[in-house]
Amino acid sequence: MTRSIAANIRGLTLAIAMAFLVTSIGVGYWTLVAGDELKADPYNPRLIAAIRDRPRGFIKDAAGNTLAQSAQTNNGYKRVYADKSLAHVTGYASFQFGASGIEAAYAESLIGQDPGDALSQWRARYLRERAPPGSVVLGIDPKVQKAAADALGGRRGAIVAIDPRNGAILASVSWPQYDPSLISDPATEESAWKRANEDPDKPLINRATQGLYPPGSTFKIITGAAALESGVDPNAKVRVDDPWQADKSWGTYFVRSSSRAHGDYTMADAYRLSENIYFAKIGLQIGGPKLAEYAQRFGIGSTTHCDIAAAQGQLSRTGVLDRPTLIADTSYGQGELLVSPLQMALVAATIGMGGVMPTPHYATEVRDAAGHAIRVIAPGALGQVIRPETAKALTTMLVGAVSGPGAFAFGAKIPGVNVAGKTGSAENPSGSPHGWFVGFAPAEAPTVAVAILLENSPRGGEDAAPLGGRVMQAALGK
Amino acid sequence: MIAVTRRRPELGLLFWVAALGITGSVAVAAAEVAGFRPQQLVIPVSYVVIAFVLHFFLAARGIRGDQVLLPIAAALTALGLILVERLASNLLLQQLSWTLIAAGAFAATILIPRDLTALSRFKWTWALLGVLLLVSPVFPVIGREVNGARIWIGVGSVTFEPWEAVKILLVIFFAAYLEEFREVLSQTQRRFGPIPVPPLPYFGPIVAMWAIAMLVMVFEKDLGATLLFLGIFLAMLYLATGEVFYTLIGILLMLAGGFVAYHAFGHVAARVDVWLNAFSDDLRFDAGYQLVQGLFALANGGLFGAGLGNGMPERIPVVWSDFVFDAFAEEVGFAGALALLSFYLLFVYRGMLIALRAPTPFLQLLAGGLSFIVAIQTLVIVGGNARLIPLTGITLPFVAYGGSSLVTNWMLVALLIRVSDVTARVKGLP
Repeated sequence: MTRSIAANIRGLTLAIAMAFLVTSIGVGYWTLVAGDELKADPYNPRLIAAIRDRPRGFIKDAAGNTLAQSAQTNNGYKRVYADKSLAHVTGYASFQFGASGIEAAYAESLIGQDPGDALSQWRARYLRERAPPGSVVLGIDPKVQKAAADALGGRRGAIVAIDPRNGAILASVSWPQYDPSLISDPATEESAWKRANEDPDKPLINRATQGLYPPGSTFKIITGAAALESGVDPNAKVRVDDPWQADKSWGTYFVRSSSRAHGDYTMADAYRLSENIYFAKIGLQIGGPKLAEYAQRFGIGSTTHCDIAAAQGQLSRTGVLDRPTLIADTSYGQGELLVSPLQMALVAATIGMGGVMPTPHYATEVRDAAGHAIRVIAPGALGQVIRPETAKALTTMLVGAVSGPGAFAFGAKIPGVNVAGKTGSAENPSGSPHGWFVGFAPAEAPTVAVAILLENSPRGGEDAAPLGGRVMQAALGK
Repeated sequence: MIAVTRRRPELGLLFWVAALGITGSVAVAAAEVAGFRPQQLVIPVSYVVIAFVLHFFLAARGIRGDQVLLPIAAALTALGLILVERLASNLLLQQLSWTLIAAGAFAATILIPRDLTALSRFKWTWALLGVLLLVSPVFPVIGREVNGARIWIGVGSVTFEPWEAVKILLVIFFAAYLEEFREVLSQTQRRFGPIPVPPLPYFGPIVAMWAIAMLVMVFEKDLGATLLFLGIFLAMLYLATGEVFYTLIGILLMLAGGFVAYHAFGHVAARVDVWLNAFSDDLRFDAGYQLVQGLFALANGGLFGAGLGNGMPERIPVVWSDFVFDAFAEEVGFAGALALLSFYLLFVYRGMLIALRAPTPFLQLLAGGLSFIVAIQTLVIVGGNARLIPLTGITLPFVAYGGSSLVTNWMLVALLIRVSDVTARVKGLP
């Protein structure tokens, strides 16, 4: 017997009603659940419209100086930036090309709808009342920022200074620069964007947070931490004979000592004289997995926690260390390692803080139009990544690397202050080695940690160390 | 002599439609920079007059039966006009003209076929006409390719989407064909395990339908039409036979066809990739731009929306035809979007009720199929807008900008009202 058509109609209608229910849930997801994330998307034209329609809030440095403000033109508003050395930090805010830096990361706060201010968000949303925009205050210290900009002095590279106690970024310079005011002015955005975007030196990239470089010898801090926590005795003498290979299977491949050394080295000697062969040997001794674990602990190749866009870096192309030559090369900072200056500044800060890694952040506070704090940005530490006694032992050796006899990083010395630091000269495919310096001061209770990177610098780390000294000196007020 | 009927509930509901149309239109005008001007009332008031004229026309013709479909369709069309005013005001006059033509087509459909059941006698004529219209865009000279889909025909500057008319012809044909063969198709003597195997001569047309649908996809590059074509056919096959198995086989064939199409045709693969990875960096500024902008609009809607005229849906490319739903949801929120979906569900429910009560299998299948058209179109385009399924170029019935769609949808309403009129006469109801 055939089922009646009437019964089939009921069945089909039920199926249709179910499909409407599913569709309604889908619409509810996008309007209600996914809403917050999409509304904060830097490419959402609703956020960008606020650039031209109405004045955005101020961006200020720690001393209260205005770094970015809106100015009226005959065609809406444009943004004007006071300090070009902070181009990559403030970012730009262009109607056509979106926003970057703080302008993107705090886009809602700058139009008076900070996520910490539920009432204003609610009023904007349901009553269409726009709260007058307030300001975003940065941790940037103008003295340190100026010292960093002067120190870099137009060389390609980046400098980051961070307060290790709370993760606030005190100075951040990336060179070459671009003029964010031109990209944020409707009259000039088109040509300025084209020029910056097509420049072979890539000025739009924030080298401090997004530039990726081999870390060279600065990575030996991580190798040393892994070795100390794996039971390696830092006072044991290790034989160094340049050139060195573990066995004949390496063929024509050798690890080279930068000083063509022959002798017996303790770990302190190896830091002071930046001895590659020493670290290659102890790296192989503790093994690839251990080394990979410590790189991961210091955040290399893992999620970043910075409030503006920052790169993750990489341990190796595959993410593991599985060949003896790769382990040896990684141990002294070459191999396939890539890190950002910000990441290396955090490594220095962590050693200085007894193994506690701070969360980096550029902004420290969001204020309303009347100047009252809406939200204080003080993310807690990321965690204890190495033991305090390991950090202490490393600190002693890194002080030696700056002020010991024949120390490579002597250029970072500051009169009357103990400085801990490490230079690096990173071999790279684009020419002369990149010069690195990472360090912190005062060594016993640091208030500043820095990373200096000079692209293709003739004398590598030796060029970078004095710049680190100058920036830290400015931060210490000496 | 025709006895005049009193369609009181319908008249009452139309006053609500009038209030909706006029306040909506004024709200949109008031949100614009120039503000509201009294002469802007001309278009909503003209539209309200058209809706009332249709009501009095039905009453004067003595049409009995359903009194809810006309107000719902009128309300949806009013929302359509409000959204055209909001999103593409330069097209508003054109859309009002199309509304007038649609009202004419509605009246003609009420008047012309003397006997609805007689439609079933010419079923092969409808089928032939339908297939001809379906393949017409492929022919040179009259065929037009718009946005990568070859689904338009045009002479000079007048273009028409034949698929819109084909939908109704197909439903009439399927209803007639399935009425004749439903016994054979469902009372199969042979079963292959749980699978009913109908005699080959009757099974042939089913395979033919699938093949035609696949050809449409290949030559006209229209994913949406293919989906609708097969969906309508499968739904009506189910209505006629009650065999879930046919539907399952149909869906499997559809998926198989889709899988092959994904690998063989760039335009199908592109649609699916955008659906899966709309936010990836290489798609969000390119092929996925429209969808991502649509989702931004939805997200801005929240619970109660930005208010008519206060959102930014104009940032979605061709918002007035493909993305009216997202635009509407941005300005009236999730609450308004639910209300809109409820209108459609109510429409489908009334249509299915008409089908349920219809006196003959042909009329039951006809009304069921026509209601299903509205259901599947709404689900496919809203699902596409909300990224539940890949986006297709289906229009949101009555609301999206577009002439051919509006005209055929109003003919669809007229046919449903005619079926309910026949039922009321047979059963002696008002």
